[in-house]
Amino acid sequence: MINLIVIVISAAMFALVLVWWRWPAFRAWIEAPKYFMLRQECRFDDQLKG
Amino acid sequence: MTTLSEQSVHPGGQRSVQSAGELPAVEYGLIRAHVLASLVTLVLSVLFGILVATKFTFPEFLGGHGWLTWGRLRYNHTQGIFFGWMGNAFLAFSYYVVPRLANRPVLSLKLGWFLFWIWNFAVVLPGWVLVAAGFSQPLEWAEFPLVVDAFVVVAIILMVFQFVLPFLKARLSDLYVSAWYIIGGIIFTMLAYPVGNFVPELVPGARGAAFSGLWIHDAIGMFVTPFALAIAYYVIPATTGRPIFSHFLSMVGFWLLFFTYPLNGTHHYVYSAIPMAAQKGAIVASVYLGMDVILVVSNLLLSLRGSSGIASKDVPLRFVWFGVVSYLLVSLQGSVQALMPVNRFIHFTDWVIGHSHFAMIGFASFLALGGIGHLWQRIPGTRYNERAMNWSFWLLAGGLTLMIADLTIAGLVEAQVWQSSAPWIDSVRAVAGYWLVRAFSGLPILAGFVLFWISLLTGPQVAAESTSVVRRKAAENVSALDGDTSIAQWQPSFAGRFSYVHALIFGAGVGFFALSFLVLAILPGKELAAEIKQVAPVTMPTLTASEQRGRVIYGREGCAYCHTQQIRSLVADVRRFGAPTEAWETKYDYPQLWGTRRIGPDLSREFNLRPRDWQLTHLYNPRLVVRDSVMPPYPWLFSGSANQPTQEGLDLLAYLQSLGRARQLSGFDQQTQAPSVHSATSDMAMASEASARATPPTVPIAMMGGYSDSAPVLHPASNPDDLQDEVRRGATLFAANCASCHGAAGRGDGKASVSLLPRPADLTAARFSDERLSSVLWNGVAGSAMPPWRQLPTEDMRALVAYIHGLHAPSAAASTQEATSLNEGKFLFADNCAICHGDTGAGNGPAAGALAPSPTNFRLKKPTEERAWEVLGNGVPGTAMPPWQGQLNADERHALVEFVRTLYGTPQENSEQ
Repeated sequence: MINLIVIVISAAMFALVLVWWRWPAFRAWIEAPKYFMLRQECRFDDQLKG
Repeated sequence: MTTLSEQSVHPGGQRSVQSAGELPAVEYGLIRAHVLASLVTLVLSVLFGILVATKFTFPEFLGGHGWLTWGRLRYNHTQGIFFGWMGNAFLAFSYYVVPRLANRPVLSLKLGWFLFWIWNFAVVLPGWVLVAAGFSQPLEWAEFPLVVDAFVVVAIILMVFQFVLPFLKARLSDLYVSAWYIIGGIIFTMLAYPVGNFVPELVPGARGAAFSGLWIHDAIGMFVTPFALAIAYYVIPATTGRPIFSHFLSMVGFWLLFFTYPLNGTHHYVYSAIPMAAQKGAIVASVYLGMDVILVVSNLLLSLRGSSGIASKDVPLRFVWFGVVSYLLVSLQGSVQALMPVNRFIHFTDWVIGHSHFAMIGFASFLALGGIGHLWQRIPGTRYNERAMNWSFWLLAGGLTLMIADLTIAGLVEAQVWQSSAPWIDSVRAVAGYWLVRAFSGLPILAGFVLFWISLLTGPQVAAESTSVVRRKAAENVSALDGDTSIAQWQPSFAGRFSYVHALIFGAGVGFFALSFLVLAILPGKELAAEIKQVAPVTMPTLTASEQRGRVIYGREGCAYCHTQQIRSLVADVRRFGAPTEAWETKYDYPQLWGTRRIGPDLSREFNLRPRDWQLTHLYNPRLVVRDSVMPPYPWLFSGSANQPTQEGLDLLAYLQSLGRARQLSGFDQQTQAPSVHSATSDMAMASEASARATPPTVPIAMMGGYSDSAPVLHPASNPDDLQDEVRRGATLFAANCASCHGAAGRGDGKASVSLLPRPADLTAARFSDERLSSVLWNGVAGSAMPPWRQLPTEDMRALVAYIHGLHAPSAAASTQEATSLNEGKFLFADNCAICHGDTGAGNGPAAGALAPSPTNFRLKKPTEERAWEVLGNGVPGTAMPPWQGQLNADERHALVEFVRTLYGTPQENSEQ
């Protein structure tokens, strides 16, 4: 069971890295929220500053 | 071209968004309320902690009443930190950040105030009061009683509605990693909390411990860590105005955290009766977790690249930076601690306490403070006092560093003593200085927290301009992204394919969470149940009603937080406490009381170990019988003195004396066990050590009572110089270990003597042979409070023999009685005394075997005339020796006194025992 868990977690992580490496568009998509967060922060700041 | 600003109204999106210029409402009142509640409960909780730490040095400080005893304060310290401080801080930050990240308000303002009320006035406050009043649950991180747990569950469900629902309406591809951590933290805590708090009440002993172990770690991993990381991931980019280094890595870290953290729990029970496969699984997961933390922290620190100037000026960001670095260090420390070679050494010691304070203060509290400082500067009408907050940072950093260093070293010292054969109390004495420093280190920490609070209250009223530069930079970053054509190209075609990836993996995380319970609790539980069914004695007695009540008192006073009931399959444990704890021994333990910490010794084998009056005196005031003990006194279990226990005192005594009874009475250790019964734990832990093979669990061990023929006869040195050294050393040892009962001068009038029956021996009133003293030191005296001291090194016992010889008043002149008187004494002895003391006075008469303490062996002990006269006249209370002044006249008693004094030193024809 332990071996299975180790294999599953390792495989899942490897698959993620593979997807990230193989599809640049995925990279862009997965990185988008960090800009969304900053934009929201600016919007709220602007509102508070009137 | 599609821009980010258009994403919010993208046709593929499923949410009903605020219009572009309209921002969701933020409940600033709730933010302020939770911040205030968090700091009030934080300061109170830290005060509880400082009291707890102080009691290690001054055990009787505020010790006269149950409400302020060590155990209950300890419960309220950790639960206050967990629910009061962390809970309120995380709720405050969630109210600030959820509308920003979900682009929607939280569900309801009314629900928010209801949640605030429940969290503080149905959980924290009543939890504290109930624990102080003696209603608690002796499970780590689950000490609030079940009735409070019910409100916690309700509160967490409300948190799902309040904070998770807004995210469910948002588009998955917009969800920033902080949002994922908030969602994960709430959902996984909702799943883990009932399992950790309710299941151990229903599943006993070792099986329940498997569940408790999960919650011990889930409390940190599923609640504290996600919210703390949500703060780190938010404050860093919001302050620097730059996006985090990699959102991909942050999500990998998130998923890995929720995959591996639930699997960690059983590493709190390495070398225990829990099946080895579960232990190994937890250890492997702990290593995985360490790798995950390296990933997360690398990502966070890389996000701070080029922002050192901001980090040095912006105090909340500096708090966050400190928390992130602490997260790395404490997590790697945790991974290493789980490894068996390390765990066997440092587990149960103060090292682990240092680790937990590092995690809860260095990591979680610094991040929570950073989050609060950050939002306080950005909500209407509040600003912090930078100077005060700066001082707060340095006080906290300095106090924490001192505390961690101190506790870590103390843990190593304890571990070293525990590996030796030194008496347990030596480990307490060895770290006494460290405990003082630890209590002292709490003061700057408390001052730091108070100052942080002050900094929030004394800030300027007008909004500072400090955020404008950062805001401009953030705007530039967003503008740059808006012009990124690659984003525009993939958005319509590609996003759809991945829109459910997050949800899929989140589902997998929940699956792994369920798997953790299957692998680490349910399957081991089934294995343990089968083992118990196979091994447990058919006649295993349950606890009596009194013992059961005593068990509740044991739990409510926090005894399990200093005394384990879990002998691990390790040589040092077995040598000191006896055979490793088997799962079947705990089959009636609802909930389990294994414990995860040892200030005092393990109590699994307390049955038949110490007499009743010793136990009662020890409970009344431990220092009466163990001079340097740091155990708190429990005077509320007595009516004014140690020999007047209340019913509660008697119940606790009954429970203590039942520990290990089933094991001893069952003859389990004499049975030949089928190979399958022996757990792999024992094999792994002990087989590789020659000393382990030479120390089978069933042989008498250092702390156990019982007579052993192997007692060596210790003769003091014959060389006068050497003898002087021995006497000097013996005096020190006597003062440290014996004087509390026998008195400083050895007259049997120590502080504890009042409540001990029979009274401790007056060592000045008799001459003892080397053989007698050696035997008593080695075996103790059955039927009295005199414990065996064979755990002392041989040279120490020899020094005690030398010193006790010197306590005896100069020998009286040889008997001058006439032969006729001696003959009369001899006849009187044969008629009246020989049935107990034996024909030759060797204490081996026909009735001796049934008596405890054994009748005096006059060949090895020569009482003074005064003492012999007194005993003959008045008897010895607490023994079978009756007063003889009614049966024998004065002349006859004088004749007997003279006769028994002539017996000393004559050769024995057989053993006295």
